[in-house]
Amino acid sequence: MSVVRCLEVSLTIPDNEAETALATLRRLGLELGELHRADIYRVELDEPAAKKTLAGLRKLETIYNPNKHRLNVRSETEPHEGEVWIDEPGPEATGDGSLSIAGKVLEGLRRIERFTAWRLLDAQGNPASPQTVTRASDLLLCNSAFQRAQLSR
Amino acid sequence: MSVAILVFPGTNSEEETVRACRAVGLEADAVHWNADLDEVRRYDAYVLPGGFAYEDRVRAGAIAAHDRLMTVVREGAAEGKPVLGICNGAQILLESGLVPAIGGEIRAQAGFAKNAPLGKFRSTHVHVKLAIPRGRCAITAHLPANAVIPAWASHGEGRLAAHDVVLAAIASGGHLAFVYCDANGGVTADDTPNGSALGAAGLVNERGNVLAIMPHPERDAWTFMHHDVSRARAFGDAGGMLAPSGGIALFEGLAAALGVSVR
Repeated sequence: MSVVRCLEVSLTIPDNEAETALATLRRLGLELGELHRADIYRVELDEPAAKKTLAGLRKLETIYNPNKHRLNVRSETEPHEGEVWIDEPGPEATGDGSLSIAGKVLEGLRRIERFTAWRLLDAQGNPASPQTVTRASDLLLCNSAFQRAQLSR
Repeated sequence: MSVAILVFPGTNSEEETVRACRAVGLEADAVHWNADLDEVRRYDAYVLPGGFAYEDRVRAGAIAAHDRLMTVVREGAAEGKPVLGICNGAQILLESGLVPAIGGEIRAQAGFAKNAPLGKFRSTHVHVKLAIPRGRCAITAHLPANAVIPAWASHGEGRLAAHDVVLAAIASGGHLAFVYCDANGGVTADDTPNGSALGAAGLVNERGNVLAIMPHPERDAWTFMHHDVSRARAFGDAGGMLAPSGGIALFEGLAAALGVSVR
């Protein structure tokens, strides 16, 4: 048995990349209030070892530095409303019971996928509409020639 | 004839690019992102040099592709002015859709993705071979068929990536301007430092006036920079050592496209 979890790693310090993207999207005509960015690691874990494996992932400072990041474990494995997840298709990282991530082998890790998540909020602080998210993705956040965009269903 | 070397926040190769343009008889100025756009429109050609425009935020070249300066580049390209993008400049041209512009369509049809197989930055000396007929591209029209030019590949995102149908159109439509090769022009997969599709080092647009090239010709444009016997032969000869050669050929092509006689 395995479980799928999403680790969301975001900055606690100002995110200049998100600010630049927000300024660019506004210049392109999108009416946005805020834009947030996070790294998403969608992992498939052996259920008996899931807690231990997640604890091991939390200790990998190459993906999570507690001095400047916050880490949330999300049980939902798809984008939320107002979000778009971007990834670049490539060889999927899969292993039979263990995988190495950031140079460290983690037991109980079966599969890992990495995304950049962008969360778009309108001027009232609500999740942006699917049309706005799609337009932001098409205009800037995703180059569909070699990247994929996944929106909330 | 004057050339604007466009400088975005994070561009870092403008000085050597200005120098290479001036070495072939062009008037060249570094023009910053906050310049008056009407002033920028007066230039006869545009060069987008290497670096990390806007820190490569979102993707390499993605933010700069929407910069206000690019309005003028798009206008200039549409008027037929020569546009040359080198490394980060090439990434910007693909993100902006000015290259390859298959069917004349200005939208991102391809991109330079992370190097394969490791996804890491690579800096290495390379050679590129002209892969289009003479006359297909204004900037390479003066080069002999199959000309080989030395350059430095210095990038983390230089792997041409696109859907299969686009790659087929690039190959069949004369958009593949340069491929990686060895010093003698031989082409094998080993010569491609980044896993680039089609072994692509450079692409040209449909009209032939916008050229995007990933390796830096300006970083191997004087004899003292070379990695072959020409440098050893020039030892003791200051004039020879400081003579423009090698990668300068691409800037000579830019000059020729503007009607400036070089030699």
